[in-house]
Amino acid sequence: MSQGAGAEAVLALLVITDLLLLGSSRLRSCIRVVAVQGVVVSLLPLLLHGGEGAARAWALTAGGVAVKGAIFPLVLLRVLRETAVRREVEPFVGHTLSVLVGASALVFSLWVDTRLHLPVTLAGSPLTVPVGLATMLIGLFVIVSRRKAITQVLGYIVVENGIYAVGVALVGGVPLLVELGVLLDVFVAVFIMSIAAYHISREFDHIDVDQLDRLRG
Amino acid sequence: MDAGVLIWVLLGLPTLLAGLCLALRSPRQVLILVSIGGGVWGVVAGVAACTLLAAESAAAAYGWLHVDALSAYHLLLLGLVQGASSIYAWGYFRSDVATGELAAGQARRFGGLWFGAAAAMSLVLLSNNLGLMWVGIEATTLLTAFLICLHVSPLSLEATWKYLVVCSVGVAFAFVGTLLVGASAQPLGLDPSEMLLWTRLRASAPHLAAGSMKLAFLFMLVGYGTKAGLAPLHSWLPDAHSQAPAPVSALFSGFMLNAAFYCILRVLPLVEEATGSRGWGRGLLTGFGVVSILVAAAFIAFQRDGKRLLAYSSVEHLGVMALGVGLGGVGTVAALWHALNHAIAKPLAFFAVGRLGKLYGTHDLGALAGAARRSICWGVGFCGGLLALIGMAPLAIFMSEFQVLRAAAEARTFGVVALFLVGTAIVFVGALRHVIGTAWGEAISAPAREPVHAVDVGLVGGALLCLLVLGVWLPAPLANALSAVAQVIGGGP
Repeated sequence: MSQGAGAEAVLALLVITDLLLLGSSRLRSCIRVVAVQGVVVSLLPLLLHGGEGAARAWALTAGGVAVKGAIFPLVLLRVLRETAVRREVEPFVGHTLSVLVGASALVFSLWVDTRLHLPVTLAGSPLTVPVGLATMLIGLFVIVSRRKAITQVLGYIVVENGIYAVGVALVGGVPLLVELGVLLDVFVAVFIMSIAAYHISREFDHIDVDQLDRLRG
Repeated sequence: MDAGVLIWVLLGLPTLLAGLCLALRSPRQVLILVSIGGGVWGVVAGVAACTLLAAESAAAAYGWLHVDALSAYHLLLLGLVQGASSIYAWGYFRSDVATGELAAGQARRFGGLWFGAAAAMSLVLLSNNLGLMWVGIEATTLLTAFLICLHVSPLSLEATWKYLVVCSVGVAFAFVGTLLVGASAQPLGLDPSEMLLWTRLRASAPHLAAGSMKLAFLFMLVGYGTKAGLAPLHSWLPDAHSQAPAPVSALFSGFMLNAAFYCILRVLPLVEEATGSRGWGRGLLTGFGVVSILVAAAFIAFQRDGKRLLAYSSVEHLGVMALGVGLGGVGTVAALWHALNHAIAKPLAFFAVGRLGKLYGTHDLGALAGAARRSICWGVGFCGGLLALIGMAPLAIFMSEFQVLRAAAEARTFGVVALFLVGTAIVFVGALRHVIGTAWGEAISAPAREPVHAVDVGLVGGALLCLLVLGVWLPAPLANALSAVAQVIGGGP
């Protein structure tokens, strides 16, 4: 019972961090929110399958917390220091409207989940799949609706967090090697995107990706 | 040699070469290692592919690594494309080294990432675990991203950024698909460690849960389709191909797109058998194929930049492959053959346009007018490659496209036949004027003088000869291999 409650607390935190990200314009706090979300989502395997295969769950949680909770914010904050950008000014969709979109994404995911009848394997919360799905959608929305390269990286991390939650719920036992490979890929992806964002800021004096529009046709 | 050992060699050799490149001092040394090591890697991959094709199937690492006809055939393409591109890289970057435009750090980065990408692509082909396959595809995206902006410029950074974001997010969808495959395997009651093993899934494909398998295929089609450049998911492709150095464009177009398409081919038999072999997944592929051909045709018709033209041509040809596999039967064999022909013709065209771009200082096709007379080797290579790509008879691509058309006609899908003919006709006419311009046009600017090496002539001549020979004669071993591969996909005639 306590396992289920713990998992539901995690899911609630996931939704809250999603909405906080959508509502805030200071990039520094956005990075922190996504770091918190990364830590929270990394706890899921421990809460859902702490009993059987405990070593595997601990390894995943430790890896996830280290990468998403510590390394990502460090790297991103460093890029932020190198660029002169502090805020996500004038996103394509305003912050209030974004929060509404996020809430609709959650409702939509709940509806989709009732229609799909996915074979969810595990005990824990039946809400894991819809919340993970909503997190994915919100991450995608962040990528398409924000101008700054850093915010797009954050959106990518949020998409990955959502996929992670869905994965934990759908298939308990993805082999550890694969999970670690995925974590490594995500880690390298964020790292490389940060380097690219840094180069963009040096070359262009801004990181507004909507102004990267010279290649056409 | 034992097939299991071969598998490890295929993963180990490029990793070793990548490490060596990072350890070298001067850009010249790195380039020599890239050319020679890459050529050796190409030969090793090709020989291994032929050995493994003959052995039918081989496994290593407790079944996590596995080679069958499908992966061996793609390994052959990888060896061919990357071997040739590595040899070409020497001539392409030589002038940059001489002028100091390619610093030691850049050269090391190029070498390391170049062979790193080779290792990642062989991991994709060799892994039996669908999750590991995904890890390999994502790794190719990450390793090749900085190859695009080897020379940092605003345009190349723009292309790199789009490539990174679009492909990473797209391929993330493919991972959801992979998870859903795992979910649909639950009725089989497999041990978690075997849940994503392709051989296990394939053996009991009819018992997979049909609903979640369909969903899985949709996610994978969209995810890997983004990386394979199927329209309308191709937005990153023309930018990345046009900004990357020519050897990288050749590798992207000649094989990396096929590596992603290979992943779709892996899942296709699973979804087909799970849904009762009624052609549900094939229908989707057919649709994507036709859309890709038409979209690419629309952009090719008005294209002036040589590399962007070739990039859209890749969208078209991946569309032809998707269409062929979607039609099944003869179409599957034709699509696989088409992959080989494309892997010869497209690198040739990129090689030529890359060197012409260096000589003329631009990739604008108008400025390259008369290039075939001024710079005979590369000018003729460009014209020949482009003619092959637009489907001029009797070159090989014409023959494989004709077979796809035949498959469409035999399947009595006359709408598809019509759309296919319209698309390829637009491409033919749209690109032919550039061939004519390059061959006989009034020269606008004179190219820089550069001596032609025997290696350059060998690359161009060899590729053109292969295209001509394959167009008139399909060797029996190749024909057998193609039908064996089609059996794996489950669409053999």
